[in-house]
Amino acid sequence: MSAALANSGRGPRQQFELSIGGMSLRLQMSDTQLFGAASARYAAFTDAAAQPTTIALNDGAAPEGAPADFAYEFEGAALRVFPSEIRFDGVRNQYALDSLLRVLLSWKLLGGHGFLLHAATVLRDRKAYIFTGRSGAGKSTVTSLSPEGSVLTDEISLLRREDGVWCAYGTPFWGEFRAAGSNIRAPVAGVFRLLQAAENHVTALRPVPILRALLPNVLFFSAEAEANRRLLEILSQAATEIAGYDLAFRKNSAFWEGLPS
Amino acid sequence: MSTPATVFWQKNPALAWREIDDETVIISPHDSVMHELNDTGSFLWKNIDGKKSAAELAVLLVENYEVTPDIALSDTQALLEEMSSRKLVVMVPETAGVSP
Repeated sequence: MSAALANSGRGPRQQFELSIGGMSLRLQMSDTQLFGAASARYAAFTDAAAQPTTIALNDGAAPEGAPADFAYEFEGAALRVFPSEIRFDGVRNQYALDSLLRVLLSWKLLGGHGFLLHAATVLRDRKAYIFTGRSGAGKSTVTSLSPEGSVLTDEISLLRREDGVWCAYGTPFWGEFRAAGSNIRAPVAGVFRLLQAAENHVTALRPVPILRALLPNVLFFSAEAEANRRLLEILSQAATEIAGYDLAFRKNSAFWEGLPS
Repeated sequence: MSTPATVFWQKNPALAWREIDDETVIISPHDSVMHELNDTGSFLWKNIDGKKSAAELAVLLVENYEVTPDIALSDTQALLEEMSSRKLVVMVPETAGVSP
């Protein structure tokens, strides 16, 4: 959904709304080129929500008075969350916008009982299988071996606990596999830490090893103690409630046969 | 040289920590390093409150585990030194006083 807005003499400002992981956002910007690129990039995630949080892009002066609740800078682009608004400044292209969106979501998900994880999410029998690991661990291999249309992301997974159930959402954040993505969710079948091996083998993990597997792959950018306490609370609950496994696999699709449903 | 057994210790207030599956997991926000404490380590961690010294913590250890006073004090001091080196605990400044 997009629309042109009056913008106090600085030319037309455009906006579109998107929903990622159930988090509703409204992006406002004057840059026509960036608007076109962003609205195409997130086309599968545009959604009209009752009360989206507005993000002003490259909008100039910051509000006076209140300090930012959360701030982050990345390669010249800056994100600031104020009580009244969210601002992205210095955003020169869609990739910088994408980075700031990830940072913002990682922070906002604290209030939504969720987190972002370096992981691929693949649907099978209407359940979400989460394959985590650092770059090179095999996320792209797993997704390339999965049926077309079943991959919700090959790079950044979004998990939330809703009504007592952990769900994985599709995200527009992709790695090598580049696709539009699907804005759908599914209950989590399990989290699998990828370990490449000569033979396929699945080992169930207890909660602390699951937490140990999750933590290095969680996207989080706040050093503030209270935010980290909240994150650890969420991750501890995830590690306790979600089945977790080490998945040693060789590069063929036979690994699916050994996965618990 | 080890820290005197009478010094008070407190948890580093910048840390995040949780008990999970009978273990204590501590995370340092600045480097996201995860530290894990076993059963006795978790027991000591829960009792580190800024009002107890290594000697007092060792007494609690003796009361709750089958361990001699000498070994309890030695183990407690070793653990506190280790946690201090990892910035998980800090000494309470002598001038800070202790709240009643």
